[in-house]
Amino acid sequence: MAAARRLKRVVASQPGFLNFKSSSESLSGRRKRVNKNKKKSWNKHSDINDVEEFLEDVRLQERTTGGLLAEKSDDSLFFLDVGQPKRAERKAAEPIEGKKRKGKTPRPLRIDLILQQDSLIPAPKDVLAYQQPNAKKLRRISQKAEQLAAKGVVTRRQKRLLSRRPVTKEAKKSDTEANNNPNRDYYDIWGQEQSTVKDSAEDWYLQQTGKKRVKRPEKLSDRPSVLPAVEVIAPGGSYNPDFFSHQALLKEAHEVEVKKQKEEDKLERQLAVNKDDTATEETVIREQVEGLVEEEEEEDEEEAAHDEEDEDAEGGSSLAKKKTERQRKREKADKIKELRRLDSKRQMDHRQQLFQLRSIKASIKQQEQSTEDKQKIRKANQEAEKSQPRRLGKLKFQAQDLEVQLSDELAGSLRQLKPEGSVLKDRFKSLQKRNLIEPRERAKFKRRHKLKYVEKRAFRAIT
Amino acid sequence: MGGLQKKKYERGSVTNYITRNKARKKLRLSLPDFRRLCILKGIYPHEPKHKKKVNKGSTAPRTFYLIKDIRFLLHEPIVGKFRDYKVFVRKLKKAYGKTEWSAVERLRENKPTYKLDHIIKERYPSFIDALRDIDDALCMCFLFSTFARTGKCHVQTIQLCRRLTVEWMNYVVAARALRKVFISIKGIYYQAEVMGQLITWLVPYQFSHDHPTDVDYRVMATFTELYTTLLGFINFRLYHSLNLLYPPKLDSKAECELKEENEEDYALNSECYLEKLSALSASLARMVSSAEEEEAQLDQFPVEGEDMEKLEAREREQKEQEAQKKLFDGLKFFLNREVPRESLAFIIRCFGGEVSWDKSVCIGSTYEVTEETITHHIVDRPNASTQYINRYYIQPQWVYDCINAKIVLPVEDYFLGVTLPPHLSPFVEEKEGDYMPPEKVKIMALQRGEKPAQEQEDEEEEDEDEDEEEEEDDNDDEEEDEEEDEEESEEKNLKKMEKQRSQGKSLQVKVTPGKMKVENPERLEQEEKAEEKRLAIMMMKKKEKYLYDKIMFGKKRKIREANKLTAKRKAHDDAEKANKKKTRK
Repeated sequence: MAAARRLKRVVASQPGFLNFKSSSESLSGRRKRVNKNKKKSWNKHSDINDVEEFLEDVRLQERTTGGLLAEKSDDSLFFLDVGQPKRAERKAAEPIEGKKRKGKTPRPLRIDLILQQDSLIPAPKDVLAYQQPNAKKLRRISQKAEQLAAKGVVTRRQKRLLSRRPVTKEAKKSDTEANNNPNRDYYDIWGQEQSTVKDSAEDWYLQQTGKKRVKRPEKLSDRPSVLPAVEVIAPGGSYNPDFFSHQALLKEAHEVEVKKQKEEDKLERQLAVNKDDTATEETVIREQVEGLVEEEEEEDEEEAAHDEEDEDAEGGSSLAKKKTERQRKREKADKIKELRRLDSKRQMDHRQQLFQLRSIKASIKQQEQSTEDKQKIRKANQEAEKSQPRRLGKLKFQAQDLEVQLSDELAGSLRQLKPEGSVLKDRFKSLQKRNLIEPRERAKFKRRHKLKYVEKRAFRAIT
Repeated sequence: MGGLQKKKYERGSVTNYITRNKARKKLRLSLPDFRRLCILKGIYPHEPKHKKKVNKGSTAPRTFYLIKDIRFLLHEPIVGKFRDYKVFVRKLKKAYGKTEWSAVERLRENKPTYKLDHIIKERYPSFIDALRDIDDALCMCFLFSTFARTGKCHVQTIQLCRRLTVEWMNYVVAARALRKVFISIKGIYYQAEVMGQLITWLVPYQFSHDHPTDVDYRVMATFTELYTTLLGFINFRLYHSLNLLYPPKLDSKAECELKEENEEDYALNSECYLEKLSALSASLARMVSSAEEEEAQLDQFPVEGEDMEKLEAREREQKEQEAQKKLFDGLKFFLNREVPRESLAFIIRCFGGEVSWDKSVCIGSTYEVTEETITHHIVDRPNASTQYINRYYIQPQWVYDCINAKIVLPVEDYFLGVTLPPHLSPFVEEKEGDYMPPEKVKIMALQRGEKPAQEQEDEEEEDEDEDEEEEEDDNDDEEEDEEEDEEESEEKNLKKMEKQRSQGKSLQVKVTPGKMKVENPERLEQEEKAEEKRLAIMMMKKKEKYLYDKIMFGKKRKIREANKLTAKRKAHDDAEKANKKKTRK
């Protein structure tokens, strides 16, 4: 280092040396005399600027060009200027760049560019980075281990390590695959029934940890309707039906339609305007004349009504007359007498019933018979109810239209058959009919914001 | 009086019910999720007996659930998954909104999913329970498997449904469990008997969907989700009960045969196997080779009386079934391209026939049209272009009718261009005395082994045939009359003799060789029975007699109606025939 520095100084002292900075040491006023006999004052008053500047300049040169300019060869400093390079070359180069850009090679960030080292002098080596703590000791240990391994000796420590159970590294808990994965696999879900009778300890554990399944209530296993899952269409629904069964089906469908029509008609009738309510000429005139023609008769009537009301009020007050003592006594006696009479009559009846035994028996029998009949009817009704769709929500169940093909729609062969109805709808209705889901309407689409209509510019241009 | 006043609607039936909205709030689920949960767990709404009481005095229609059911739902682990899913959707939406694609990817990877296995086990504790409820599952899977793979529901669900239905059909083929088929205008109904359970399902025609708007697809998809799981487990169990490999594998022999060079023409590599399976033309691989298939004989137990009869009936039924299973054994079918391939291949294979089709129709054809050994060629056109001599050209309905009749029907009625006899529903079971269409009567006669009188008739001879028929009908009556005639003639002879005697003439004594009186033991027996019956009727109490008369009257009325219908039918037929003749002239 020292030799290099000396060399630099020597070079710099030579007359051909070029400075980067223009020298500026012309400022020299009157010289001040000071003692330089002490180190302190010597330090203070000696001028080292020129040396500093010179060194700074050398460092700058080294940093930017990698060496002193004076030592560089002419070739590295100068070049022959022959104008701008040819266009063609640049163009040829560009597309490659463009491709690169398309491939999105990451351009270095600006911050990285700033932080990049731009000095041409390599950074001094960091010695510590290459040093290993405890290197000597470690080396010794490894050497010893090698020696022992060569001899075939297993240390106690190694033995202990080996004897430790290998940790079964559980693979990452496999994600439960989606339920509708078409390649999912199945297993025998009903096969482990025997093994489910586990020891009670396990049972207890599951119960305590809250992992045990709650038992399904028994009642949930019975079906909400007795109807079969698949109701086979009537024989008339065959693609090539027998004449009579087809007619029967048509008749059934016809009856359904007639019923519907009737209901519609009824509704229409109810909604129709009543003829009596419509205005005739007479009523119109009367309405127009209302209040213009005075009628005296009405007034008379009103007066009469007033009189009647007065009379009523008087009669009401006269009813609340007091009873005399005698009257009360008599009433009481009458009442007792009546009760006695009824009592004696009842006793008589009781006695008489002995002779009516047969008729009583008959009547009892009849009663029993009638109750039994009623019970039967009720039970039958209940049974029938079971197969009926229930009212489960806002809407009532509505059976779908019967699938029917008219006689001229029937296809002669399987090839020409035109399917009727939709199986999807059939299944959906069947679910509703069996009370598995409630019938409901499709939710209406509600717009949150109002639509805004704007005329297109193109449209406006035409009109 | 002391004490607190009783509050209304706090005791009694109100405490058993909960409205849907309250239940939903209790479970902290959105309405679609709640609906889904209820379907999966098999919890259905209830209609309370006294709505006003339950509805706290209001009569507004509401959906009610049993409160205990909802409490049971609270323990379901899937509820947690639903909530997770909700959160997942929210996060995903947010990530999309911020265009954070890496976050989207990460979320997608950790999408919460759930399985329904435990629910299946809970709802169907035993295999038979599950089998009883399979009708719905089959219908739904067959339906979904025919959907186009466009948007209406997940493509994966459709694929899964297709796979499961193919597996099911293969099982039915292997077990030969099919019993009835009915082609209706809606779809094709099949009925199979699996482990003693009658299972009916409906298969829609292909490509026949117009998606109705008033069907809630979400609900249907939820049902399907449950049913696919159920059907998968059932299939597994059924395959193992037959010693078949599950997931089904084609027989190694069959697989070699089906190997073709240009499989890519039919399907993608990944789907090729399923397609081959769905072709249904090859048998499945078994876990144990099927060489030692032994027919287990039923153990005979000594029984007496009525049990004996039942046993015999059962045995007869079993024999019939065995015969039905081998209905098409040894027959070789070829399907023309215009017939419904899958349905026909399925049913033919179910009854032991061999089947093939044109190479270009579908993968898995086993032999060509030119094969010499083909016995039946199924065509659905008025005429076939090239006809081979040694095979029948028939219309597809023949196959279906054979299965329903349980015998191989004569093919004449089903030749090309012939007007087909009606396709009768096998699901109708006529009681005695009900009206039966003449075609059914004919089939029943064939089942009994009788040969119909009119076979291979030409239409020109029809009239004569009819006369013959009538004669035949008359014959039955005549037989009855004969005996009466005999008796009458005897009486006449006696009278003659008496007359002669009274006239004082010497009797013409003459010995005629004695005729042996033929005693018909059956007839005698019948008469005896009839006599017994008459006596029994005479001995009846008044009340019973009344009832008996009523029943008999009902029966007679039924018969009368049936007769009326048959007469009508005959009139109709005659009219049609006359029409035809007219048109011909």
